[in-house]
Amino acid sequence: MSEIIVVENLVKKFKDVIAVNDVSFVVNRGEIFGLLGPNGAGKTTTIHVIATLLKPTSGRVLVDGINVSEKPQLVRKKIGIVFQDPSLDNQLTAYDNMYIHGKLYGIEKRVLERKINELFELVELSEFKNKQVRYFSGGMRRRLEIARSLLHEPELLILDEPTIGLDPQSRNKVWEYLRKVRREYDMTILLTTHYMDEAEELAGRIAIMDHGRIVAMGSSEELKSMLGRDLILLRFTGNPETLCNKLSFAKDCKLTSDGRMEVLVENASRSIPEIFDVANNNGIKILEINYRRPTLNDVFLHLTGRELRDHLEEAVPPPPRRGFRW
Amino acid sequence: MSREINAFTAIIYRQLKRWISSRSRVVSIIIQPFLWLFFIGVGFGSVFSGNTPVQFDNIPIPINSTQIIQTYFNKLFGGVDYVTFIVSGLVVTTAFIGSFISGISVIWDKQFGFLKESLVAPASRKIIILGRIVGDSIVNTIQALLVVAVALPFANGLKLENIPIGLLYIFITALAFTGLGTALSLKFSSMEGFQMIVNLLTMPLMFLSGVFYPLAQMPEWMQSASKLNPLTYSVHGVRYWLAGANVGFEYMNWHLDLAIITVFAIVLLAVAAEMFEKATIED
Repeated sequence: MSEIIVVENLVKKFKDVIAVNDVSFVVNRGEIFGLLGPNGAGKTTTIHVIATLLKPTSGRVLVDGINVSEKPQLVRKKIGIVFQDPSLDNQLTAYDNMYIHGKLYGIEKRVLERKINELFELVELSEFKNKQVRYFSGGMRRRLEIARSLLHEPELLILDEPTIGLDPQSRNKVWEYLRKVRREYDMTILLTTHYMDEAEELAGRIAIMDHGRIVAMGSSEELKSMLGRDLILLRFTGNPETLCNKLSFAKDCKLTSDGRMEVLVENASRSIPEIFDVANNNGIKILEINYRRPTLNDVFLHLTGRELRDHLEEAVPPPPRRGFRW
Repeated sequence: MSREINAFTAIIYRQLKRWISSRSRVVSIIIQPFLWLFFIGVGFGSVFSGNTPVQFDNIPIPINSTQIIQTYFNKLFGGVDYVTFIVSGLVVTTAFIGSFISGISVIWDKQFGFLKESLVAPASRKIIILGRIVGDSIVNTIQALLVVAVALPFANGLKLENIPIGLLYIFITALAFTGLGTALSLKFSSMEGFQMIVNLLTMPLMFLSGVFYPLAQMPEWMQSASKLNPLTYSVHGVRYWLAGANVGFEYMNWHLDLAIITVFAIVLLAVAAEMFEKATIED
């Protein structure tokens, strides 16, 4: 079986909020799969369902062929997870955090000690292993969490926003470890992120999520080619509707929120003179023009829009279903 | 099976390590009974001892009032002086309050993420939560022992040879109330809310348990409430062993005490385990 995760028509509702709305995707063994999306898109909810922390409202999720709602215990053994918010025990030492994790996963003591030291080497924390975690910096905590999630040699490593809030040095380190881990342990990695560079840097395939749905899926090259080859940005005076309507060669044409116009074309060098012609013929004056290859960022903004996502995120605990809360 | 034992001991290890690393918690838990001991125990102790000179001017026959009063109070407090009486009860309330409050660590873990780590672990959740409750109960029993140790110079009626069996009662009581605290805190997401419930429950339970005064002297309705309070049996049993004083209702004896607190502990452990089994991060 080449698929390690199969998600079919997953729906997750919190009371009347639909966090994940009919999502389907497949992650193949050995790949790095990225869920990319703005805050509140439903990425975390999706991976929480995969990690057996939430029960799906409907739909089916299989990890290595096992249904997560039917046999969560079996699934838990196969996955290692690094949560978005730290889940370390700050009052304990780095070593104790690893040790307790190993014990919870039933690793034999002799093997456990060797593995812990090995992983401390990997994430370069050996000299801090007997220090309490509360003195660790954000980057060190993240590295420790990654080491911890690898301790029981999971087949699938799930990372929720692995580099959120880290400085560029720590981000690079984390990326380096993840690539190394995938190579050396032949592990499948599922990660969520809202950083384009991270998705581009790490993920072989990317699914872009927004409003609880997957809006596009493919390699970063495939996603970029969705937009055509070149992206022309224009500033002008006059009616934008007219201009867009006349640009018959454009693959897409739309007004951005800062008053500029985005035109997607096959070949910018050839299209720019044509745009000038159209503008002249319609009494439109072009004030500024430039073009570039579309980045993943452009794809992302193109698909998810530019408005801010200020609604409540799924991380905010929804009201309890029963009982009372103060 | 061995994996379950591993998980169980790992969580106990964690709770103990956390306790050792937070000294302020240890200190505060032990200081509280001392405030009780000094302000109530030593204060009332001297009143109840009969050493306070009381003048009976209008009694013509010369009598030894001190001796009479002392006999009266000693009979009231089961044949021991008041300080011994109160220390043998405070040991239980120390463990009781400590256990109840241990539940707060579940909320703490909810906020700081370790709960998620234990929810995704493949070990049985029942085992994990039981390990947690047992770990905290060990901590609270040790704290009770510390209270006994520090109170020894003040309470000269304590029976040292009975400390182990007294600790057994205390441990079972701790299991019960840690279970209750844990079950409650799985339902609360804020420390403040939990703190409020703890304050709301601990005070009446403590005053109705007969720690500070003998139950038989209380009004009828309070006696009925006391009979329903599991802590009453724990205090009675521990006092019976530690002080050798049988102060309670007539039907009470150490077998009954042990049976009641054990049943109470089993029920609460089952409730806590069941609740944790069903816990998702939505709660």
